[in-house]
Amino acid sequence: MSDEIFPIPHVQFRKRGRPSAVWIVPVIAIVAAGALAVRTYLQTGPTIHITFNTADGIEGGKSEVRYKNVPVGKVTSVALTPDRQHIVATVQLTSGGGSLATMGTQFWVERPRIGVGGVSGLGTLLSGAFIGVDVGTSTEKVESFVGLEKPPGVTSDQHGTRFKLTTTDAGSLAPQSPVYVQRQSVGSILAIDLGADGKAVNMEIFVSAPYDHLVTQSTVFWNASGLDVTLDASGLRVNTESLATVVAGGIEFGVRPGAPATPPALENQRFHLFPDLRHAMARPDAASLALEMRFDQPIRGTAAGVNVEFEGIHIGEVVDITPDYDETTQTFHFDAHASVFPERLGPAYTKLAAAGARNGLTGPQTLQALVDRGLRAQIKSSNILTGAYYIDLAWFPNAKPAHVIAKEGVWVVPTERGGSEQMQERVASILSKIDRIPFEEIGGDVHDATRAASSLLGHFDSAVVPAMQGVFARADTAMSALHDSLAALRDNIAAPDSAIQQATRATLEQVERAAFSLRTLADYLGHHPESLVRGRASGSEPKGK
Amino acid sequence: MTRGVDLRLAACETCELVVQASDPLVGLCPRCGEPVRSRKHNARTRSWAFLSAAAVLYVPANTLVMMRTEQFPSHREDTILSGIAYLWSEGASSLALLVFTASIVIPLVKIGALGVLLVTTGQHSTWRPHGRTLLYRVLEVAGHWSMLDVFVVALLTAVVQLGRFANVEPGPAVLPFAGVVILTMLASSSFDPRAIWDRGAE
Repeated sequence: MSDEIFPIPHVQFRKRGRPSAVWIVPVIAIVAAGALAVRTYLQTGPTIHITFNTADGIEGGKSEVRYKNVPVGKVTSVALTPDRQHIVATVQLTSGGGSLATMGTQFWVERPRIGVGGVSGLGTLLSGAFIGVDVGTSTEKVESFVGLEKPPGVTSDQHGTRFKLTTTDAGSLAPQSPVYVQRQSVGSILAIDLGADGKAVNMEIFVSAPYDHLVTQSTVFWNASGLDVTLDASGLRVNTESLATVVAGGIEFGVRPGAPATPPALENQRFHLFPDLRHAMARPDAASLALEMRFDQPIRGTAAGVNVEFEGIHIGEVVDITPDYDETTQTFHFDAHASVFPERLGPAYTKLAAAGARNGLTGPQTLQALVDRGLRAQIKSSNILTGAYYIDLAWFPNAKPAHVIAKEGVWVVPTERGGSEQMQERVASILSKIDRIPFEEIGGDVHDATRAASSLLGHFDSAVVPAMQGVFARADTAMSALHDSLAALRDNIAAPDSAIQQATRATLEQVERAAFSLRTLADYLGHHPESLVRGRASGSEPKGK
Repeated sequence: MTRGVDLRLAACETCELVVQASDPLVGLCPRCGEPVRSRKHNARTRSWAFLSAAAVLYVPANTLVMMRTEQFPSHREDTILSGIAYLWSEGASSLALLVFTASIVIPLVKIGALGVLLVTTGQHSTWRPHGRTLLYRVLEVAGHWSMLDVFVVALLTAVVQLGRFANVEPGPAVLPFAGVVILTMLASSSFDPRAIWDRGAE
């Protein structure tokens, strides 16, 4: 094979010493992979651990973490804690959700919940439970959280103010129960817990802006749950905040009428929760006055809690009743201790107190002035049906003079017998009168009268009945005679040419003619009613038929 | 045995004209004007470049999400491996094996085998040239099938579009994965199997 046979290719010389352009490919690959890695890294937020009591509804690799329903992370795994008391959900947050992992952030499992207040989380029925987030205010990063078992009543993005309420009876109130003002729902109960002493119930409520400023220093809260049924002179009234409060309960707040304007309440300020509107609106009892009333009569129906009234105004309650024995008179009596709030009388009390102070009188002396005019305490029945009693401070101008005794801060008010005992005495006197009625004598008289009537009837049988038989026989004879004469009369009338028949016919013809004339007259009057006044017009003869 | 290069001859791949070859021969065929080369141009460099790019992209292709499945009410995000595990746990073991072979084994084997070929030829190794040639053949044939995962995702994305109820979306791993497959094919096609014999025959 010679070199001449084969042609020589056109040689192209390449520049050497330069790296081949193909290396751009791995460079691009590295850049692309790096970009992907960086992007993935940037999209991945911190990993956090949340402790829950139960993993109900949470699934590793599936359940999402949502803030305002925006996915901000995913549960990667669920594991038991070493002590097997709780579960720990490991959550991979996204980069956007990374800022949520701060101190104070709350996590809870959103599940479908059905309560009296409403239905929530219905969407999770289909999508499965997810972990809800409410972000805290702190910026301190935390990796471990303790999850809530229930969604918080209020999330941090809701503006408003929290207050604390204390009461002795929470009734049917429960977390999520609404808070009303003017019957409008403006908030809810966040939490209810029993105080450590087991007596008071503490509540935390949330009033959303802008209504939170309605809560002032003088605001009163009351339990608006259930039905308020009132039966009075205007009839039966059923009062309720809303149908929901009947079932779920609720709290209403407001201001007592005439209360001065006060600055808004502070966050977490503590208020008392009154059992109902009436208690809440009652005037605040500034100072109570301890009264003692000694009754020397049975005090049945009167017990602690019985009202003390003055002129129909409820001014206090009986605190307790102690039986006592007086050795000198060898009688029993009962001391009713009452707590009275004279300020409930309003201006009446202030003026009385002012007048007393002006005259240099002490409290008992002022009361003595009233007692001198006949003020006495008396037990009265307020309701005959239920047998309820109350203590009335009433006027007895003719009562025997008595004195107010002041001992150890307790004022002893003189009493007047009455009320239950008076009524019992009256009933007893009525019974004794009934007792005196001579029922036996009355019975004997009735017996005699019956016997007389019986003998009268026997006499009637023996004397009257035989005489009556003769009377009946004669009446029979008279009736047959009457029958004969009637038959003769019938024959006379029924004959065709009898005089009665002819006379009757003639009379009927005349009646017919008279009726015809009457009809003609009626026609004429129908056409000319004026003739009744003006007389008959000439030439207008009434036309007969 | 004598090679074409040893006789300083080369054949035009287009018109079969035998020309004189300088070493390394780079020139244009005097008859048809096409490039005439006794060896593939820049074969080792290009092969290495494509192979290293494929190896780099292999990492995101396997760590990133391949497919997002919205199957009401659940939502899944699968990488290649987690998808295989899911198929396996759902009882579709044969399908899982198929996907595992096509998407994990073949690209890995391709990268590894090409690396072996490139290293041995670079060292002018005389180790089992027949076996290495066979390996190269297998690489060329089997490499075509490793796009399976991309095809699956592309098909599902096109077919399963039922809004909220069922939806399949490709994840960010699709492009790196396709890149791995294409780059390994480019790398294997850039490789010149004659390099296996350049020293092995002597």
